[in-house]
Amino acid sequence: MRRMIAQMRKELTQIVRDWRTLALALALPVFLLLLMSSALSLTVNELPIVVQDFDGSAASNSLVDAFRASITLKVVSWPVDKTAEEALAANAGRAVLIIPSHFGRDIARGVNAPVQFLVDASDANTAKLVTAYAGQIATSYNQQAGGAQTGPIQTAIRLWFNPGLSSKKFYGPGIFVLGISMFPPLLAALAMAKEGELKTILQVYVSSIPAHEFLLGKILAFMIVALAECLIMSLLLFTYFGLSFAGDPTPALIATVLYAFCVAAFGTMVGAIIPNQASALQAVAFGGFLLVFLLSGLIFPVENIPAGLRWISSLVWGRYYIEIVRDALLQGGGWPAMWSKVLIIGTIGAIFYGLAWRGMRRMQVKA
Amino acid sequence: MAGHEKDAGEGLAMKQLWILLFNYRLRALIKKEFAQTRHDRKLMFTLIVLPVIQLMLVGFALSAAVTNVPLAIVDDSRTPESRELIATLTESKSFRLAGYYSSVGQLGDAVSQGKADAGMVVPYGFARDLARDRQTTVQFLLNATNANTATISRGYAESMIQRYNTGLRNQGIKVHFQPIAGSELARRGQAQLEPAFLYNPGLVDSWFIVTGVLGLLLILDSSLISAAAMVREREAGTLEQLLMSPASTSEIIIAKITPLFLLLFLMMFLAIGVLKFAFGVPFHGNVLLLVAGGALCILSGISIGTVISTFSKSAQQAQLTCFFVNPPLSSLSGALNPVEAMPKWLQPFTILNPIHHFATIARGSTLKGSGIIDLWPNFLSLLIITLVLGSLSVWRFRKQLS
Repeated sequence: MRRMIAQMRKELTQIVRDWRTLALALALPVFLLLLMSSALSLTVNELPIVVQDFDGSAASNSLVDAFRASITLKVVSWPVDKTAEEALAANAGRAVLIIPSHFGRDIARGVNAPVQFLVDASDANTAKLVTAYAGQIATSYNQQAGGAQTGPIQTAIRLWFNPGLSSKKFYGPGIFVLGISMFPPLLAALAMAKEGELKTILQVYVSSIPAHEFLLGKILAFMIVALAECLIMSLLLFTYFGLSFAGDPTPALIATVLYAFCVAAFGTMVGAIIPNQASALQAVAFGGFLLVFLLSGLIFPVENIPAGLRWISSLVWGRYYIEIVRDALLQGGGWPAMWSKVLIIGTIGAIFYGLAWRGMRRMQVKA
Repeated sequence: MAGHEKDAGEGLAMKQLWILLFNYRLRALIKKEFAQTRHDRKLMFTLIVLPVIQLMLVGFALSAAVTNVPLAIVDDSRTPESRELIATLTESKSFRLAGYYSSVGQLGDAVSQGKADAGMVVPYGFARDLARDRQTTVQFLLNATNANTATISRGYAESMIQRYNTGLRNQGIKVHFQPIAGSELARRGQAQLEPAFLYNPGLVDSWFIVTGVLGLLLILDSSLISAAAMVREREAGTLEQLLMSPASTSEIIIAKITPLFLLLFLMMFLAIGVLKFAFGVPFHGNVLLLVAGGALCILSGISIGTVISTFSKSAQQAQLTCFFVNPPLSSLSGALNPVEAMPKWLQPFTILNPIHHFATIARGSTLKGSGIIDLWPNFLSLLIITLVLGSLSVWRFRKQLS
């Protein structure tokens, strides 16, 4: 036990000594959290749209005004002598609204008048959003003008957990998890690979410290780094992001400790298996960044991944922690919803630890 | 190269460049770098195979499409009418039935436990109200933790119920009563929005993502690898030997980046092949534009890496610095999400981001079929970014050596 603590203190001293490493460990996650949570969102504001009004009547003007009043869309000017396709090709707007001549006359006569809405669909998701917004604007325009009858069935839509549809609240917890999945294992892998590269691992072998205590000491040090990051970033989540625990916080708290163990063990495992700093770094970048960033439901829902590839995402440890953190901060499902995920994180951590132990035994041969 | 151009006139610079490119010393240096690169099997693997795998994985796995939203239902009405409404929603591609619940409380629990992302409550008097031609309200709950999914599924639900309404009204007209002709005439016409999706009528999500991720991979790989290559010589202590040779700093740098550039260029061709054959991205424009944009993008990525390497003492430091630079560069590029979704004050900074320009060029020259007339601002910006970073790295390199 004493040897384990000593090993841990040695690791922490090494981290604090190098300012670049320390900054990487503590400042960069905060920076990432602030930057990416606002940069990642898929919901758009002020999408530029071009309006071509060939009618110029009072009716067409009020339709354009309805579009102009929207927060999500922004009407930009475009010369009348250029075609709609040119506006889209030049990226002047995401969509073009074309009001034909006779629009006002047709409406007054009680004939339905078509209005063309050309959407740049090279970004399919945004195209869908723009079309939905434009459809809503057109419907409310029709209702205001008294043209549309309201149907017999009304929908009362209520948005739960995030009524303001703020993306920040959704991405904040995700980036929080990304930060913890990336930096502590990075440092752990570098520290472990360095022992192999500098052959200091041989000194460890001849010392009286058993392998388990050596590994646990290392992992404990990087768990402390991970938990420190957690603390700083959760302060940010609670203040700047305005989040708070929605229900029982104990699953998230226990999962946090387990997850800190899991990522520290992952880093140590990579460092033990690949005793080369540059390659170990690449491996962590792949596992800690790419997998967690792309296949954990951080930006895009896991359900959208085709079934043939979805099994990969069920191996990604970050996915379970993201679900737990989101649940604790937004939904409040508590233990009944989350117990299995907490268990999986613990299991994956244990597997990483076992592999790290095996890898360390082989390090002796390589060194 | 850029450093030389700066202090010479235009014609002189061209001549110098020509001499530079064809002199014997440079050729020998390039040959040395090629030999070194060829021995590095791992580098060849990470450069050629890994990006292709990443592109495939990302393109097939990532999609912002909202389909099969699990919908939980409380049906207090239990009539053919309510079942028809429920079927209209659950039989569609947008929603799938997650289960029936007997009370609103249970439905709420199901939504908060993640068993369903949406819930619909059909009231007790639903069918009766419809039969009497009275308005009735259906409650719809949505898990809004993901704002994007919630917005899109709200649109789905509204439009589907709207369509169901229209169907009902037409039915009603046939069965119940004939509308009086006069009221029909007095009605105002409606503006009917007719959306048409250009460039991607099938709304394939992966086209947007793979064209963006291509730029991301080019920058990430080229910056990491060039930083590592530049710093390796210093770590091994052989940099001094190179400097003792009559070769100039620009020559050393050019020789270093040439094999990397060629390898990355090859990787880009493979990736373009993946775009075309694995994802079916249509090539409406000139492929040359895409290739030229990619070449510039690689060069700017290499310059980013070179600049980073001049600030680092070891390979480890260089790679860690790449970790500082790359995440903001990739998330503020508009490669994975629209630029308009970023906070307003950050949007102007995309002009400085090579990934953003390459993504615009890639989408323009493939999906949209835009020509150089539309894309020249992006080419110009890429060129400026490359030249500025390139001269910065040469300047820093020289300063460090003196």
